[in-house]
Amino acid sequence: MSATVTQSTAASGNVPWTPARIRRVIGRAVTYILVSALGVVFLIPLFWLLSSSLKVGTEVFDQPVKWWPAVPQWNNYPDAWNALPFTRFLLNTLFVTIVPLFAEVFVSAIVAYGFSRFVFPGRNVLFLIMISTMFLPDVVKLIPTFIIWKQFNLIDTYDPLVLASLLGGTPLFIFLMRQFFSSIPKEIEEAALIDGANVVQTFTRVMIPLIRPALLSVSIIGFQGHWNDFLGPLIYLNTQAKYTMTVGMFFFTGGTNERPHWEWLMAMSTLMIIPILILFIIFQRYFIEGLTSGAVKG
Amino acid sequence: MVGDPIGDYLPTFIRFLILAVVVCGASMGVHYVLRNILHLKRDVALGFSLITPWILGFLIFNLIPMVSTVVLSFTDYNLQQAPNFVGIQNYQTLIGTDANFWPSIRLTVLYSVISVPISVTLSVLLALVLSKNLRGIGVYRVLYYLPSIVPAVAVVLLWRWIFNPDVGLLNTLISPILNVTNTAPPDWFGDESFVLPAFIIMSLWTALGNNTVIMLGSRKGVATDLYEAASIDGANTWTKFLRITIPMMTPAIFFLVVVEFASAMQLFTPAAFARATPAAGRFMNLLIYTYGFQQSRMGYATALAVILFLLILAATIVLFRSQARWVYYEGQER
Repeated sequence: MSATVTQSTAASGNVPWTPARIRRVIGRAVTYILVSALGVVFLIPLFWLLSSSLKVGTEVFDQPVKWWPAVPQWNNYPDAWNALPFTRFLLNTLFVTIVPLFAEVFVSAIVAYGFSRFVFPGRNVLFLIMISTMFLPDVVKLIPTFIIWKQFNLIDTYDPLVLASLLGGTPLFIFLMRQFFSSIPKEIEEAALIDGANVVQTFTRVMIPLIRPALLSVSIIGFQGHWNDFLGPLIYLNTQAKYTMTVGMFFFTGGTNERPHWEWLMAMSTLMIIPILILFIIFQRYFIEGLTSGAVKG
Repeated sequence: MVGDPIGDYLPTFIRFLILAVVVCGASMGVHYVLRNILHLKRDVALGFSLITPWILGFLIFNLIPMVSTVVLSFTDYNLQQAPNFVGIQNYQTLIGTDANFWPSIRLTVLYSVISVPISVTLSVLLALVLSKNLRGIGVYRVLYYLPSIVPAVAVVLLWRWIFNPDVGLLNTLISPILNVTNTAPPDWFGDESFVLPAFIIMSLWTALGNNTVIMLGSRKGVATDLYEAASIDGANTWTKFLRITIPMMTPAIFFLVVVEFASAMQLFTPAAFARATPAAGRFMNLLIYTYGFQQSRMGYATALAVILFLLILAATIVLFRSQARWVYYEGQER
C-alpha cells in the first residue's frame, strides 16, 4: 500500500493517464464520495440536535422542517437548566464520577501490579477468574447488590455509587494495566530496589509514571462510564436533589404535559455531550488506544 | 442550592476514606500473615497482598451476589418480609402465564441477533476503507467515532425527536419515498411493528463508530510482510483480502461479537428513555427493573435475571464453540 502512495505523489504532473492510473483515481474518488456520504449521515443527527436546541418552542414543530432557527434562542439553555435544579445535579454527577474514578484507577493499578510482577501460587487461575468476571453480566449481580446496600441502610446515599470502587477495581482496567506493566523491563525495578526503595516507593515513584498512557486511557473509559451511568443512580437515589444528570434528564419531561419543551430537552442533551467532547478533543489518542487495546491485544 | 450538597457528600466521603483505610489494612494484614507468620517468600506475600482488594471485591460484589441471585429466584422476596422458598414457581409463572415474558424475550433476542451482526459487518467494511492511506482519512475516523462518545441519554432523547412521526427528521427525509409508495409515515417508537427497527437504527448510529475504531486497530495490526509474501506467490488483491486480512482480523471480530452481544442483551438506558410502546414488549433488563425496583418483586425479578443470564451464557458458549471454525489465532495451524 505504501508503495502506491509514494508512486502517486511522485507522479502528480507528467505521468501519462494509463488505464491503471485512471482506475486508481476513480477508485479513490468513489471511496471519498462513499466515506463523505456516510460522514454526513453520522453528523446530521448531531447538527439537528444543536439546531433544535436553539429553536423557539413553536418552530420545533414547523413544517417543512427548518434546518436552522430564524433567530437562535440561546436563552433555551439557561431556561432548561433552571427548570430543574441542574446545577445541583451537575455537582452530584461530578462527585459520583471523580471520587470513584480516582479510587478504581488507583486500586486497579495496584492489583495489576500484583498480577504482573509477583509470582505466587494460583496467580494464573486467579487472573483467569478476574478476566471471566469481565464477561459476567451486571444483571446477575444487580438485585443482591442492591439488597446488600439496603442492609447497611445506605439507599438514597451516594455510598453504593462511590464505595464499591475501592474494592476490586475494574477487570478491564486491571487487564489493560497488566499488559502495560508486563512491557516494562524488570531491570528498572531492580535498580530502584538496589537504591533502597521499598515496594510502595517503587510502585508510586517508578512504575506509575511509566504507565501514564494506560492510566489516561482507563481514566477516560471510567469517566465516560460514571458520567453516563443511569441504572445505578436510578435505583440507589430517591431524593430529587440527589439525582445525577442522567436521572434528572429522565424525569425532565420538558415542562408541562400539554406541550413538551423539545427545545429544552435538546439543549440539555447538547450540554451532556460537551464535557465528553472536550475530553475527546484533548485526549483523542487515549480514547482510541483504550478502546483498541482491549480487543486487539486480548 | 437545592438540598444540602455538603451534608450529602461528606458522610459518603468519610465512609469512603474509612473503607480505603480498611482495605489498605487488609492488604497489609495479608502481607504480615504470609510473610511474618507463615514465612512465605517475598514474592508470594507481596503478590497476594497487592491483589487483596480484588479478592475482597470479587467475593463481595461478584460471588456473593451471583449465588444470591440464584437463591433469591426461588423465593418470593419483596424487600418487606423475610423471603419464603417457593420452588420453581417464579419460573413457572414467568414462562407460563406472564404476558410480558415472551414479547420481552422476542424483542431482546431479535434486537441482539439483528443489530450486532449488522453493526460488526459494517464496521469491518468501514475499517477496511478507512485503513487506506488516503489524504484526510483521519477526519472521517473522528467523524464516525463522534456519535459513540455521545452519552446514551442524549442519544435516545435525540432519536426520539428524530423518530417523531409528524415532525421528526427521519420521516421528513423519507417523505418523498412515502409519497411515491403512498404509505403512511411510520410512528417509529409508537407503533409496535416499528419499535425493533427503530432501536436497531439507533444502535447502528451509536455503535458503528466505536466498533469501526476497534476493527481499524485490528486491521492495522496485520503484519505487512504477510502481504509481501503473498504478492511474491502471485496472490491478487481479492485473494489477499480473503486469505490474509479477514482471517487475521477474526480474533478481534470474535471479541467484538461476544462483548457487543452481551451488552445488547442487557440494553437498559435506551430502553428506558425511548418510551416505546409497551405493545412491542419491553427489553428484558427494563422488565427486571420494573418487577424488582418498581413493584418490589425481587424474587420474581431475579428469576428473570437468571433467565437473561442463561441466554447470554448460552450464546457466549455457542460463540466460543464456533471459534475453531472461523477464528484464526496466529501461530496456530489451519
